[in-house]
Amino acid sequence: MASSWCWSCLSRLRAPSTPRAILPPQSITPRLTTASFHSSAVQYANPTKKKGALVAVKYRQGQTLRRKKKKTTERARPPAVGERKALRKRIVLSNPNALEVEGMQDLSSETMIDARLRGSVLGLPVPMLDQLRAVQAFKPKQGWSIFRRPATVLRRDTLEMARLFEKISGEGDAAEKGKVVKKIITGLKGSGKTVHLLQAMAMGFLKKWVVVTVPDARELVSGDTSYSPIEGTNPPQYVQPNAVSALLMRTVEANRQVLSGLKVSQKHTGLPSLKPSSTLEDLAKLGFQDAAVAWPVFQALWTELTATAAAPGMEKDFKARPPMLVTVDGIAHWMKESAYRASDFTPVHAHDLVFVKHFLSLLQNGQASLKNGGMVLYATSTSNNPSIYTLEVALDQLAARQAGTSPSSPEYPSPEAYSGADARVLDLFKPTTGKEPQFELQTLGGLTRDEARGYLEYFARSGLLREEVNETWVGEKWSLSGGGIIGELEKLGRHVRTAAQTTPVLN
Amino acid sequence: MVFILGVNFPERNLLKKSLETFFGVGGHTSSRLLARFNIHPTCRVGELANKQVLDLTAVLSDMKIENDLRREVLNDIKRLKETGTYRGRRHALGLPVRGQRTRTQIKTPVKLNRMERRL
Repeated sequence: MASSWCWSCLSRLRAPSTPRAILPPQSITPRLTTASFHSSAVQYANPTKKKGALVAVKYRQGQTLRRKKKKTTERARPPAVGERKALRKRIVLSNPNALEVEGMQDLSSETMIDARLRGSVLGLPVPMLDQLRAVQAFKPKQGWSIFRRPATVLRRDTLEMARLFEKISGEGDAAEKGKVVKKIITGLKGSGKTVHLLQAMAMGFLKKWVVVTVPDARELVSGDTSYSPIEGTNPPQYVQPNAVSALLMRTVEANRQVLSGLKVSQKHTGLPSLKPSSTLEDLAKLGFQDAAVAWPVFQALWTELTATAAAPGMEKDFKARPPMLVTVDGIAHWMKESAYRASDFTPVHAHDLVFVKHFLSLLQNGQASLKNGGMVLYATSTSNNPSIYTLEVALDQLAARQAGTSPSSPEYPSPEAYSGADARVLDLFKPTTGKEPQFELQTLGGLTRDEARGYLEYFARSGLLREEVNETWVGEKWSLSGGGIIGELEKLGRHVRTAAQTTPVLN
Repeated sequence: MVFILGVNFPERNLLKKSLETFFGVGGHTSSRLLARFNIHPTCRVGELANKQVLDLTAVLSDMKIENDLRREVLNDIKRLKETGTYRGRRHALGLPVRGQRTRTQIKTPVKLNRMERRL
């Protein structure tokens, strides 16, 4: 059979058997009279297409498949400055859906030392909440928002602390007015260190002490607040005016009642705008109105609060100063180099920041650091915690000394060779020459079973827990929570069990 | 808005980022500049005191940045071309200068290396 290909031009010839049916009828298709380059018969030639029938291919248009572009959706405006942070730091202290716990007592001077109430949950007095908020005693993720109103457990450590408060305030049987107690609080994650500080603050407010707090030690060393060197210091010391100003604001807001009743009793040459008749509140206000003088104002306020007698000529309005409570949360951040840099780009050690140095110096100097007595409570933190080897060793040393190990004995922990231990940190924790220890280490452990029962009953009475709280059940939860670690107990308590979750027992 | 070296920066911007917008100021230089004037790393432009702005401007104007630096780099390339070095030729030909292969992936030299080089 002959090939259907044209040998001269390799185009396909139309075979005579081409079905005519698929060709359009002759009458409507005009025929080309001359063949185009081809020797095929005219009648078989392709019908010319009408010009109008041409599919209009646009000039320079791509032949590829086109997809419609997605419409760009209108993006919402980004939230206003500070809005996201405000949301992140929001503290909700009340939940109207939770049941009111009937018969719950409030924390007061009487209840806080009542050993019979041990293991029960005491509500924080409602008028005090503003003060506690002002000193930032509450942290965002502590679960205050699941209860009707904030309340804390009266555990053994709390009772002991409350007795100290009573003692230092000069009340009760074994009054030791003017005593200074210094503690470093450590403990496992969720063991209630921050809430322990909160309870201390609440007691401080109850006893009309002056409460000074640093709610987050990290903020001072993370390089997020302005700093400037103090002239004439060697090695250079740095002041953080905005942080000090914020501290003054916290202190004034929380202690307004106490501070407004105390008059200035010393001469402050660095503050010419201070009137001799002004109160300590006015003094502190100078600092947060103008951050530039915040540090001198803070120093002046501190001398006023630790004054035991008025300067000559100013005795008229002098009132005895109340004891002070100083708390710092997350002390480990102060045991390393900060994010700040000196002018020559060397990192600034946290101990070179005067703010930090001031608070750390309270751990030293024995009873002289707070002349009117008081308590210094510095807690470590386990959330957002830098790992600092030297601090670990120093705390081990402190624990060993407390257990009676002599620093010269071979069991006494010491930093490993070549570990690059920070001499300044070790120096801060080194044993004193005197008889009395500088400060103690208090390790918070778990609750006892009785305390755990009281705590879980509180969940049940708030309507969060639908279980019969009995001895076996509490014992189970106590074990599950690693021996009564209160943070773990809270997780177990707030875990709402529904009927669907109980699995049937198959025999 | 704050003027630093004749450029207007919105107050909300981070100072470190703003400094890095100058040609020739990168992370290294900007953090050192901040440390030199005791400005904290997360400082915003609006938080600067007047004196700090003036100090920064004074230091930046002494540094070889922006057009001075561009001119220097271009002059270096020009010198290479004029002395007829291999590197100079590669610059002129739009080919990679430092011995890279040219089979693929030479978009950047094709784009940048040319007779009248711009930066």
